[in-house]
Amino acid sequence: MSSLAEMAAIFVAPKDRDAVLGDLAETGASGWSTLGSVLGLVVRQQMEPWRAWQPWVTSSVALAGSLLLLAVSFGLSVNTRHLLRGERGYGSVLFEALLMLSWAWTSGFVVGSLSGKTRWVSGILCAIPCLSCVLRFQDTSLSRLCVLLFLLPGLVGAVQGVRRAHLSHRTALTLAIAITALMLAWGGMYMRNWFLLLPAWWLVAHAERSKRSDEKEAA
Amino acid sequence: MLGEFEYILVTVAAGLGESAYGAAIREGIEESAGRSCSIGALYTTIERLEKKGMLKTWMGEATAQRGGRAKRMVRVTAKGMHAAKEFYEAMMGVSRNASWARGKPSHAS
Repeated sequence: MSSLAEMAAIFVAPKDRDAVLGDLAETGASGWSTLGSVLGLVVRQQMEPWRAWQPWVTSSVALAGSLLLLAVSFGLSVNTRHLLRGERGYGSVLFEALLMLSWAWTSGFVVGSLSGKTRWVSGILCAIPCLSCVLRFQDTSLSRLCVLLFLLPGLVGAVQGVRRAHLSHRTALTLAIAITALMLAWGGMYMRNWFLLLPAWWLVAHAERSKRSDEKEAA
Repeated sequence: MLGEFEYILVTVAAGLGESAYGAAIREGIEESAGRSCSIGALYTTIERLEKKGMLKTWMGEATAQRGGRAKRMVRVTAKGMHAAKEFYEAMMGVSRNASWARGKPSHAS
């Protein structure tokens, strides 16, 4: 049983692993009790990050953002097909493509920068609608992978979010204004598009807060 | 402001001084507070308090009794002591007029 507990301890945070198994050995806990204690700790350590608001925000962005961006990717693919048939102008499709890239990148950045230890949950919440959509795709004139166009910029954003945590205030503001202007110029002022703008303006608010706290620390 | 269990943990760890580590704190909580304390509750609370800057932890010595595994030593920081004092004063303040604090019989049915 103690070897089972040691196996279960693989899921305990590395810095606690030795200390926890040592404490249980010191108190003479039985095999079952040791296993129960270790599993209890694993569950608590996984639940602990959810006491904060960040995982809830990132999970919502990952799920809702994926659902909306699946629709955007499909719309872009259909419009690209129209463009190739000469039924649509370059400008409109280019605007749409730029907007999709920006929305996906900013959503990914927010998820990457705030997820922390719950990154895997955000990944699953993004993967479920994608997989479901790809498996149910029925338009034979398009590849079923066309709905996943947003994934690459989203992943790039998420990786950069993990590495950088936040953008500089000027960069975030420029990006948010540019995306908003692009959207207004494109004319797609639906509720869906306004929702997809939120991560960009969130980055501005987050950068502003970081700037203020840096100034406070410097003072 | 500390939570109730956080306060108990900080108080027991402060009482143990230099010999505060996981198993000793757990035993202290069970003895002095008269409540059971799971390893999960103990270590997640230690982690949370360390992130808040109220505890400092480091890996200590390994003993044969522990199967050669190291202890996670704990020290209460000045910020932790200040927070514990605040909690204690707040509890004393709100309890001042309570019947159980004045030693009078309760009127509850």
